[in-house]
Order: sequence, then structure tokens, then C-alpha cells
Amino acid sequence: DEDSDDGTTRDLRAIPLPMALKRAVNFGGGVQSYFLFLRFLVVLNFFSFLLIAGFVIIPSIVFRSVGFIEYTYLFYGYYNNTMVEGMNFSYNIPLAYLSTAAFYLLFCLVCIIAMGTTARVVVATGDSSEGNYSMLVFTGWDFGSNGNQATKLKQQNIYYRLQVDLEEEMIKKKSSALTQRQKVCLYSARVVLFTLTLGFIGAALTGIFFATNFSQGLLYEYLPSIVITGANFIVPLLNDQIAPFEQYSPSVTVVLALLAVVLRLVSLVILLYTLWRQITCDETPDECALCCWETRVGQEMYKLTLFDLIVNIAVLMLVEFPRRMIVDNWHNKLTQWVGRQEFVVPYNVLGLVYGQTVVWTGAFFCPLLPLINTFKFIILFYTKRITLFSNCRPAVKTFRSTTSSFFFSGILLLGLTLASVVMIYSVAIHPSMACGPFRFLTSMWDVVPKSISKLSQTTREFLFFLGSQSFSIPLFVLSLILCYIVALATVYKKSVTLLKTQLKLDKQFLVRQIGRL
Amino acid sequence: MGNKQTIFTAQQLDAYQVSDHVYSILFYRYRDLAPQLVPLDYTNNPDVKLPYELIGSMPELKDNPFRQRIAEVFSEDGEGNMTLNDFLDMFSVLSEMAPRDLKAYYAFKIYDFNNDDFICKSDLEKTLNKLTRNELTEEEVRMVCEKVLDEADLDNDGRLSLDDFQHMILRAPEFLSTFHIRI
Repeated sequence: DEDSDDGTTRDLRAIPLPMALKRAVNFGGGVQSYFLFLRFLVVLNFFSFLLIAGFVIIPSIVFRSVGFIEYTYLFYGYYNNTMVEGMNFSYNIPLAYLSTAAFYLLFCLVCIIAMGTTARVVVATGDSSEGNYSMLVFTGWDFGSNGNQATKLKQQNIYYRLQVDLEEEMIKKKSSALTQRQKVCLYSARVVLFTLTLGFIGAALTGIFFATNFSQGLLYEYLPSIVITGANFIVPLLNDQIAPFEQYSPSVTVVLALLAVVLRLVSLVILLYTLWRQITCDETPDECALCCWETRVGQEMYKLTLFDLIVNIAVLMLVEFPRRMIVDNWHNKLTQWVGRQEFVVPYNVLGLVYGQTVVWTGAFFCPLLPLINTFKFIILFYTKRITLFSNCRPAVKTFRSTTSSFFFSGILLLGLTLASVVMIYSVAIHPSMACGPFRFLTSMWDVVPKSISKLSQTTREFLFFLGSQSFSIPLFVLSLILCYIVALATVYKKSVTLLKTQLKLDKQFLVRQIGRL
Repeated sequence: MGNKQTIFTAQQLDAYQVSDHVYSILFYRYRDLAPQLVPLDYTNNPDVKLPYELIGSMPELKDNPFRQRIAEVFSEDGEGNMTLNDFLDMFSVLSEMAPRDLKAYYAFKIYDFNNDDFICKSDLEKTLNKLTRNELTEEEVRMVCEKVLDEADLDNDGRLSLDDFQHMILRAPEFLSTFHIRI
């Protein structure tokens, strides 16, 4: 199970940040995948920033025209709406802005798919859960590990891993032994608790909705961010308390927890929805009070990002450290029951995906956001590492790391889709007239036809041909199929080599057995 | 090396097939455990045995829950008191150079607590308790032992023979890296 982490370490091509990732394994294999995932995101954001800087920010700085010095590069509102001329060439800033945004999303898509396919696919390489126990017992102990502390941690790790598997077995046995009456009780309890969870989520979302509508004045500017981050923090905690009563097996509980935490993405959707309502109001422009809506959206995303970081650090300092101090120094029943903080991988991963989705949504309106996010994730990396080693105990329910990379890519793709939808929508609607590179155009997309019409006739015809339905759609479908086949072929090749080795060993064994008869 | 001159015969070196460099490192580690007992001159194969307590106090072994079994398996007298040959054997099998089959053979002997050439249920229970520091309940220990025998016992005699063990180990990619002590 845990050897898949070694595979992921070798496959991820990332700049190594100085960190003893090996130690993290003692807290459960999923923890190591969390940190690897975080490292991947840092690199992704950094390269995205380089992309944006190269094509949008630096040309804007170089070819700056006077009069806009009071705005900052942070937000969309700043950027030039014209072609800028300098030296012997002209640089079409609006076109650059739009195409960079499109390439940025495509680039992220490619990176995510690359990360996902280099992960081990459990299904194709056969049943890897076979031989779990014997492997663990006979090869689980690292004879090279030194030191009392490392030994104790390793023993605890093995203990917890065995426990996870055993717990699943025992629950399976128990659930098949329930009487009719007990089953009825259990199912009705599940229904009640599910409705309660939905109720909590609904209340949180309505709160977000009202907070966004209410945030017109300067005082209430941070209200949506506060409510969202608050809801994100509280609802999973409540869910965590409820889950034991529902008596699902650990794997199912983890999946349910993940689903419940998809709330994070939904809360973002609600925020966007309320903003959208404010943008597309039917009254006259004066009453809408949003003369530069793109900057407003960019600002909201920027605030969300910052707030997320602030809350994470605040939780660390105000909750986790004190909790450890209290639990370690006071020994009574209450502290025993509460216990030290557990580093629960699913929630932390979803926090990362949420943060990344916010950045993707906001990057179009706030080009420096990927850079800010790079720093945010670096800070998060080190703070989480500190809290892991100082405050946490190994997770009781270990998150199976074999499928984790695959799974992380999946939810990341979901976030990317949400961001793409937002971007496509923004491109299609009427941009604001007072700011940004696309003012005076009916829609952002218009800049593309206009630029194309300035090219020569042959180039135009060639581009039209490429863009026509008869060419691009088959090409797109073909390339998707090709990618899929290539990915499948690599995985099958690996499993074929593995099966061949196993076959050889089985033959040797049988020959020896025959020899003994 | 300074003025510490050690004298080994070529024959002694050949027997172990480790490099001179490794051989001398191991010799000095052995000697450091009890300098007054171990002579520098080994050409006459002196009969020197270090008691288990000294071996078990080495930093590489002192926290290992299996240190006693390791010492017993590699010692001539079966009680953990090791001669230089035993010591060299131990660290060369546990080094990264040793072949997988050899390691599997010795791992099997280590886990075979009652030395009956089979890993039976009681051996498994002892192994589990050492692995988890006695934290598992009896019920859990029993379940894990059953599962292990289910998975690895191919001739269905309720215990693991060397063949069963080797067959199972050969499927484990991380065995070579975990059954390894760096000195």
C-alpha cells in the first residue's frame, strides 16, 4: 500500500523543497501524498505566473502609457485596452490578455492530467490488496530505522495500518449480522442525520448569499469571505461529529466527508452567483454601482485567497497549539477523549483544491493572483509541516494513498472546470466600459475577430479552415482518444512486466513443489 | 587508519566477499564494543566471543524489537554471543549487497522464534506483538494471523515453510530496502 508513495515521489517532476517527506509517512501514507500534492501546486502556480508575467504583465510595464499610474497591476482594471507601439513592433495587449488566460487554463489542464496519469492505477495492475497483511507483517518493519522515537512511531504506524484493515473486516462482519430491527433503526438514523447535514449546508449557503448582497459598504467588504471561510471550517467539524453515529465503514465515511466538503466549491459558486446577479441587473448603469465589475470579481477572489491563508494560520496558532499544550499537560478524562489534533488528509486536500479553484477563477481578473498563491502555498506548506510534527498524532483512519494522486487530480479538474465556465461566461458578456483591456468592445471575444481581420488573406483563410467545424471537432476528438490510448498503453505495459515477473516466480515455486513430491 | 595496523589473511577476506574497506569498518565496530577482549591481530583466528549484551547495545540494533532474534540467528551458539565471523555474517546479510534469496532465508529464521523451521501461529503472534508493541488485542492478533496464513500458506498446513515465505517475499518490492542495516 505505502510503496506507492515511493512511486509518486519518483514520478513527480518538481523542484525539491527542502523537506523530510519520509518522516511524514509515519503519520499515515496519505499525509505524504498531501505534501507532494501541495508541492505540485506550488510549482504549477509559479509557472503559471511566469506565463502570465511574460505575456501580459511585462509588456504592460514596458509599454506603459501615461495616466494610469494610480492603479496597480493587481487588477484587471489597470491594463491597457489598445495596441501598444514601441520600437519596431506592436503588441496587442487585449489579445495577449485573452489568449494568455486561455493558455493558462489549458496549461493547468495538461499538468493535472500529466500528474494524474503518472499515478499508479490500481485496477490495471491487478488486485494490489492481495497479500496486504503478510506484506505488512514481514516487510513492514524497517530494520534500518534508528532511535527510540522513530521506532515508536513506526510501531504506531504499523498498528494503525493493521487497525484500519481490521476495522473494515469487523464492520463487514457486524453489518451482515444485524437483525431486521437493528437495520431499520440504522437506516432511519442515517436518513435523519443526512437531512440534518443538508440543513446545515443550506443554512451556511443562505448566510453566504445574504452576506454577499449586504457587502456594499466599506465596513462589510470582507463579510462574504468571513462567512465562507467560517462555514468551511464549521460544517466539516460538525459532520465529523455526526459521522460515527452513522456507523459506516471507514472508507465510506471518508468518501462521505469528502462529498460534504465539496460544499467549499459550492460556496464559491454561490458567491459567484450573487456577484453575477449584481452585474446583470436590469436597472440603469448608475444604479448598479458596479462600473468595473471585473475588478470587483478579482477583488473578491483576492480577498478569499488572503482570508483562507489568514484563517489557516489563525487556526494553527489559536486552536492546534493550545490544544496540544492542554492535552499534553492536563491528564484527565476530557482531554483524553478530545486527544491531540489529527491530520486529516481529505479536508486538507479539499482546502488546497478550493484555494486553487479560487485562484483559477480570479486569475483572469487579477493577473498577479497566481504569484500571490505561490507564496500562500509555500507558507501553507511550512506551517502545515510544523503543525504536523508538533501537534498531530497519526491518523486513526488512514487514507489509502494508492488511489490518492488519481483522486486529487480528479477534484482538481472539477475546480478547473468551474473556473473555465466562469471565464467562458465572462468572455461572452458585455465588459465594463470604464476599465480594462476590453472596454469599448461589445464582448471580450471580439478582440479575436478584429485581430484576425488585420492579418493577410491567406492566413485568414487558413485560420478559418482550422477553426471550422469539419476540421477542429474531429481533431479534438482524435487527440482526446489518442491521449487516452497512450495513457492506457503505459499502464498496461507496466502491468504486463509485473505479471511476467510474477509468472516466472510462480513457475519456479511450482517446480520446487513438484520436486518435493 | 593512523597507526592501527590490522592483519588479516587473504583467506579470511575471501570467505566474506566483502571489500577490504567494509571488512575493516566492521572489524573496528566489533572491536569498539570491547577493546580489551578483541585483539588487533586476527591471523591466528582467536576464539573471541562477545556477549549478547554488548551486541544488543549497538546503536543500530538497540531500538530494534527483533535484535535478540537477529543476534541468536547469526550467532554460532544460538544464544546471541557472537564471534567476529558471526558479526561479519550478520552485517553482510543485512547490507545492501546481499542477494534477495539470502536475505529471505535469514529473515525466515529470524521470524521463526521456536526454531522448528516453520513459522507457525505462535511465531506469528510473537512477531506481531513485537511489531505493534503489544498494542493489538488478542482478537485482533488472532484475526491478523489468520489472514496472514490465508494469504501466504500455499501448502495449507497451517504454518509457513521456507518456500511459502520466499514466495511471498519475492512479491514484495520493498523487502530489500527494509531488511537492511547501514553501518
